[in-house]
Amino acid sequence: MIEIKHVSHTFKIGKKDNEQEIPVLTDVALHVHKGEVVAIVGKSGSGKSTLLQTIAGFLHADVGSIQINGQETMHFTEEQHAAFRLDNFGFVFQNFQLMPGLTAFENIELPLILQGVPSNERKQRVQKLMEQIGLTEVAKHYPNELSGGQQQRVSIGRSLITNPPIILADEPTGSLDSETEQEILALIKDLNEALGITFIIITHDDEVANVAHRRFRMHDGILKEEA
Amino acid sequence: MLFKDQIAFVRQHIRKNKMRVFMTVLAATIGCAFLIVLASVGFGIQQTMNNEILQDEQVTRIQFYDQNATTEDLDKIKQQDHVKAVLKHTTVHYDVTASLKDRDVYTTNSFYDMKDYQAVKGKLFAGTYPKNDKEVIVGYHFAQGLLNEKERNAISDAELNVKEGEQVDYSKYGYQGDIIGQTISVAFKDQGEEGQTLTETFKVVGVTDKPSYDWQRDTSLIFSDQALPMIEKTFTKTEDNISAEYVIHVDHMENVMPLLKKLKDDGYHVYSVLEQMDQINMFFFVFKAGLIFVGTIAVLISSIGIFNTMTMAVTERTREIGVLKAIGASPKLIQRLFLMESAFIGILGTVLAVILSYIISIIVNITMPLILQAATNEDTFTKQAFVFSVIPWQLVVIAATISIGVAMISGWRPARKATKIDVIQALRQEL
Ligand SMILES: Nc1ncnc2c1ncn2[C@@H]1O[C@H](COP(=O)(O)OP(=O)(O)OP(=O)(O)O)[C@@H](O)[C@H]1O
Ligand SMILES: [Mg+2]
Repeated sequence: MIEIKHVSHTFKIGKKDNEQEIPVLTDVALHVHKGEVVAIVGKSGSGKSTLLQTIAGFLHADVGSIQINGQETMHFTEEQHAAFRLDNFGFVFQNFQLMPGLTAFENIELPLILQGVPSNERKQRVQKLMEQIGLTEVAKHYPNELSGGQQQRVSIGRSLITNPPIILADEPTGSLDSETEQEILALIKDLNEALGITFIIITHDDEVANVAHRRFRMHDGILKEEA
Repeated sequence: MLFKDQIAFVRQHIRKNKMRVFMTVLAATIGCAFLIVLASVGFGIQQTMNNEILQDEQVTRIQFYDQNATTEDLDKIKQQDHVKAVLKHTTVHYDVTASLKDRDVYTTNSFYDMKDYQAVKGKLFAGTYPKNDKEVIVGYHFAQGLLNEKERNAISDAELNVKEGEQVDYSKYGYQGDIIGQTISVAFKDQGEEGQTLTETFKVVGVTDKPSYDWQRDTSLIFSDQALPMIEKTFTKTEDNISAEYVIHVDHMENVMPLLKKLKDDGYHVYSVLEQMDQINMFFFVFKAGLIFVGTIAVLISSIGIFNTMTMAVTERTREIGVLKAIGASPKLIQRLFLMESAFIGILGTVLAVILSYIISIIVNITMPLILQAATNEDTFTKQAFVFSVIPWQLVVIAATISIGVAMISGWRPARKATKIDVIQALRQEL
């Protein structure tokens, strides 16, 4: 499903004549099967988010190969990345990244609007999904009227609505208390088991890592699988 | 993304910033309305002047000056397409005074072949056309112009004592009876050294139509060309004292210029007032272009507002744009959404401007003549169908193109900026 080989990336900071190079990813390889939940752990600043951004196409790594569903995405243009993301990835962020001007319902509907799905089909699909993940009551609420857990549910809903094969999550429970965290983890587990969605989850948290089938550790830009 | 949803998306953004968008639309409206109203004055004055010229019956005529024109020349001209008639107009360059009993009037004279003249003129105001050399038709104001000493004094008194805003009523002076059937005596007087005078009597048989302008006074005498030998017997004919010009009557105004060009190419000395109109139109073309240029500056100033509004909209929504891009909105789509927003401002501003301009134009056309009349004390402005402001559809198209175009151009950079937003940076931003 996801084949990452020899991915390296170096950030350059400072002025041209006094440039400093910060190697963030060093020859990273990662192989994720369909339907797997993979956790990436590691210290702050070790390069976990950078790896995820490279997979998503937010960031263009210096070298390496990234194949998703057999498609090489390293040489995609920005337009191609956008179209690819829309159909293949769902995203869950630590700070939810919901649209403040849209209700919970409308936030979940957004990817379908981008896909050009007609209005009545959209409404049905969002309705059904909101029932599944227990959000019907807050459908008309705006993000600032929701708890952290509810917001993260909405954001998971938004990542799921297009039925993507892969969900990329960067510290999905990072801003939640432990009880809410359990809820979200249970939801992820359910979705993986019921729908066979592949997850790549970045986390600091062992609880989260325990949900995963496999666990990788990032250390100074080097990724290693843990037993 | 469906077009319907794109519209909904843009509408939702506009609704969120109603006040700001409203002010920007207002600026765009004022800029565009200024452009339209300013240019409409150019169109209005041009229309007034053209109407003035077109009202004149001269427009379907071509003057042809050639004392030595041969009958072949005339036949050739007569055979051209669209020529209704070629009228020979002879004038005697002597002082001509017509008198009836104690009344007299200093006047002008014309000699025509009466058959041709009748064919061109059609019906007279009253009476018939002269059938011989001793009959004459007179201008509409001829009888009014026939004054005696007493009336001349009365008129100069009245002109001296006329009150502000009032006018001397000339119609109560002059010969009050029926002029038709009267016999007048006409004196042709050479002012040169010999000082010859020829006095003849003529019977008035007809009166011509009222001139097309209110201010025109027609006291002329129109003789049959059969009367010419009588004159030539007394005065030796030279180019200076008896001259002829030919007036080519054309069936339709639009055929005048092509015919004129053809005759000029053939080497004839011809002239039409339409040539003057061509020059006037050329002048107005430049004049209107100048007004549109000045008006465009106002539109450009208002575009700064649009640029500002759109830049702010993009900056404010940086995080939202980042999220949109993260979940798969293409840069092209994002650019289009912002361009649609600036286009909306431009289009709404233009539509309102067009409506506003028509209203201003109507008000100007109603009030300006009244104001000018009050200021100048002349009723020419209210009487003459003076148009100050005209908004033809072409002006609307030009103004709309400029206004919407400028709005799109000023929205373009902010829209580009939106597509360049870096997802990672944008998502890092907190609310
Ligand atoms: N745009 C950038 N320019 C320069 N250096 C950067 C940039 N983005 C990230 N870095 C650096 O890259 C390294 C890895 O950052 P990254 O965000 O991937 O860490 P992380 O493992 O996700 O950490 P955390 O657990 O705190 O989220 C850090 O040292 C960071 O300073
Ligand atoms: Mg991180």
